[in-house]
Amino acid sequence: MLLKTVLTRLATTVVTLFGVAVVVFTLVRVAPGNPIAMMLPPGATEEDIANLTRLYGFDKSLPEQFVIWLGGVLQGDFGTSITLRQPVMELVLGRLPATLELSFMALVIAVALGGTIAVIGARKRGTGTEVGLDLTNGAVLSVPDFLWGLIFVLLFGVLWPVLSISGRVDPRLDIDFTTNFYVIEGLLRGRLDVVGSTLSHMLMPAMSLALPLAAMIAQLLKQSLKEVLHLDYTTLARVRGFSETAVILREALRNAALPTLTLIGVQFTFLIGGTVIVERIFAYEGLGNMAIDAVINRDLPLIQGIVILFAALFIVINLLVDLSYTLLNPRLRHG
Amino acid sequence: MSSLHAHTLDVIKLNIALPNGHRLLRNVSLTLEPGEVRALVGESGAGKSMIGKSVLGILPPNVAITEGEILLEGQHLNMMTPPTRRKIVAQSAALIPQDPLTALNPVRKIGPQIIDPLVRIQGWNAREAETRALDLLDRVHIRDPKRVMQSYPHELSGGMRQRVLIAAAFAPSPRLIVADEPTTALDVTVQKQILRLIRELQQETGTAVLFVTHDMGVVAKISQKVTVLFAGKVMEDAPTREVFTNPQHPYTRALIAATPSYADLERPFSPVPASLIADLHAQIAQDDLLYRGGRI
Amino acid sequence: MADITAPRARRIGPINLRLWLPLFWIALVIAAALFAPLIAPHDPLEQDLMLERLPPWFVAGTEPGYWLGTDSLGRDVLSRMIFGARIALIVSFTAALAACLVGTTLGLIAGFFGGWWDRVISRLVDIWMAFPPVLFAVLLVAVLGTGLGSVILAIAVIDWTRFARVIRAETMVQARMDYVDSARIGGAHRMTTLISEILPNVLPSVIALLTLEMGIAVIVEAILSFVNLSISSDDPTWGAMIAEGRGAIHFAWWVLLFPLIALFLTVLSFSTLGEGLKRHFDPVLQ
Repeated sequence: MLLKTVLTRLATTVVTLFGVAVVVFTLVRVAPGNPIAMMLPPGATEEDIANLTRLYGFDKSLPEQFVIWLGGVLQGDFGTSITLRQPVMELVLGRLPATLELSFMALVIAVALGGTIAVIGARKRGTGTEVGLDLTNGAVLSVPDFLWGLIFVLLFGVLWPVLSISGRVDPRLDIDFTTNFYVIEGLLRGRLDVVGSTLSHMLMPAMSLALPLAAMIAQLLKQSLKEVLHLDYTTLARVRGFSETAVILREALRNAALPTLTLIGVQFTFLIGGTVIVERIFAYEGLGNMAIDAVINRDLPLIQGIVILFAALFIVINLLVDLSYTLLNPRLRHG
Repeated sequence: MSSLHAHTLDVIKLNIALPNGHRLLRNVSLTLEPGEVRALVGESGAGKSMIGKSVLGILPPNVAITEGEILLEGQHLNMMTPPTRRKIVAQSAALIPQDPLTALNPVRKIGPQIIDPLVRIQGWNAREAETRALDLLDRVHIRDPKRVMQSYPHELSGGMRQRVLIAAAFAPSPRLIVADEPTTALDVTVQKQILRLIRELQQETGTAVLFVTHDMGVVAKISQKVTVLFAGKVMEDAPTREVFTNPQHPYTRALIAATPSYADLERPFSPVPASLIADLHAQIAQDDLLYRGGRI
Repeated sequence: MADITAPRARRIGPINLRLWLPLFWIALVIAAALFAPLIAPHDPLEQDLMLERLPPWFVAGTEPGYWLGTDSLGRDVLSRMIFGARIALIVSFTAALAACLVGTTLGLIAGFFGGWWDRVISRLVDIWMAFPPVLFAVLLVAVLGTGLGSVILAIAVIDWTRFARVIRAETMVQARMDYVDSARIGGAHRMTTLISEILPNVLPSVIALLTLEMGIAVIVEAILSFVNLSISSDDPTWGAMIAEGRGAIHFAWWVLLFPLIALFLTVLSFSTLGEGLKRHFDPVLQ
């Protein structure tokens, strides 16, 4: 029963991934304008164009191109970037760590902030504080990450310039790391200057991504907490001498957490999707920023690679969330 | 103020009310001597649970004490700050709840649920607390206490869970236990066992019990004193024997008459007459007017 | 029990304000868009290098008549914002409507006919949901070429799934209700049942989603303008102004601030209104 669920889920994942590949390929190929012509300096001959077209395989029929391209993709070969003249895979993997670190920092902030507000709201339930928090949450929720990013630029770039609003790390720092996970590798190497600089650059973009999710978490978790706090075992804990905060943290939180965990799983992909524009606002050197440059420069292989990677990341995260939900939920497991 | 010669519990002219001023308890007074069992009896909505909740400080958020005193072992509860009150109550009182199915945390094992309060609130060390928990599980006739300590609530039957909750209530040696209809949610056969168990432990430990129930049959089995309530007002307060042999108040008589007797199936039983209820409500409405007038 | 009194107290003031403030702001934006040439104090495209980076009225060293200051090319910020409202609203209304038509139709079909229809449409939704929306939008506009039509088309192509998902689920619920059976037993054609029985019942959700989508469309247009992929750079848009302001942040913060406020309020208005409608129509939440 469980195995069948998992296999069905895996099969639909493969179909979805294939569909994504078809959509990306088709979209990019129907784009008007000859990308080859753009690569060459003005005054290039017809022959030069023909050579380069052959080199990039643009002379074959579309289905043929698709098969060749997909075959390469399956082996991890996404072709060569037209503008940067480097393998797409290399470029993408070089930028991925920056985006992953940003996404996870945003997730951590969202959970910490949302969780704290939920606990405070549940603690102060029925008071003006709760009403105030609800209204704030509602407003924060309706403002997308793009606007938060710009608001932070104004607040902490102009009004109270305490944080850098551009880049990923102080360019004056000497960084000879083997990976681009600046935070993780910096910690491992004990280079706290790099870690500090990276974190301070990440704080605002991460906050922009985190705020809407934090508000969602705060709302949902508070609601679940309030439901649990009506139950007898929390009353009993109060009689036994535990303070209201202790009751929430020790007795209620674990019982109330499941819907919120599901929400986080679903929303995490949206958060990653938000990095594209937020990275742009803060000139943060991640995948999203690179993707927009690629689109502006019509760098087809690079666009394809980045979009496929993002889509695969989304699909895999969704798959993991679904599967872990199936595995963790005893009712589904036995049902 | 010495607590040595005090009653275990004194409730003096207690009034609690909703925000709109509607009173749920009307000048309720009662006392509980050490080692005594007092039944609080009445129909649903009579406010009998509210007395226990006032003492334990777990009234619903929209209900407040408007007047009156509660003394637990001689200490004035409603003059204390909430943290002090919580500490005092946790040290001298415990609750056996109504529904064992919702009174245990589903995601935590039984053991920690008994031991945690002993360690974190009562300040015992972990070994003492565990020994105490095992001992009490044994005394509530749970067959394999070690295994039960490692179990989750859903692995136990309703009766077993109520035994666990009784063990947890007696574990910190409280001077007062509020038993809030502890048998209502259980099967009839289990009800008797649980009732016997509470009485057994109560007699062994000499703990005073405030026993909330709507069942005059249960009252007869467990209590020495009875407080009969109607619409938050005390109708009668007397030793149990007297209440059954010579009830003073017509409502008490009606309640007894309304209780089916399994011992004497031939005895007819009848619901509380509507005319009596109407009379009582009229009386209470008059009380309320006087009460409000007196306050001005 | 704790919550008996709380919502009632909350309902009196803020609920009405939550309806009227957004409506007021949206009406203001619509008026600005309609009568832009009459209202705008200056030509939004007129450059005057003598008047570059004038600060807004409350800061010293400004020129009278340029209330919200000027940008790096000496163009009047207020006038550009007023004209920018045109693009914002055109995109918002048409793109949201287009996404709504496509998504609702597909959602109705998937939910009502089920079977292969449902399988294909649901898989399509899955594939669409696998793309980061912003990246998808940027990619589409790059493919379609910049311009008003492309932006509208891109938003509709991306966001139809928002309607399809919700409407599909609601249609499935409605299709199981008794009245649908009785209509069918009465001999009604399936298509007739769908349009005359089910569509009216899902319409409230469609309207709420449409309102929410208008806010989303405004944002997506701004994002596309921000990365310089929306309409031609001659026409003033809020997104392009914001991009310009981001570039000149250290010299002329007002170029970023004022269009940002306009965008913020518009988005907040649409979403507050949409959420309010959703709650109003949803019997469970009431």
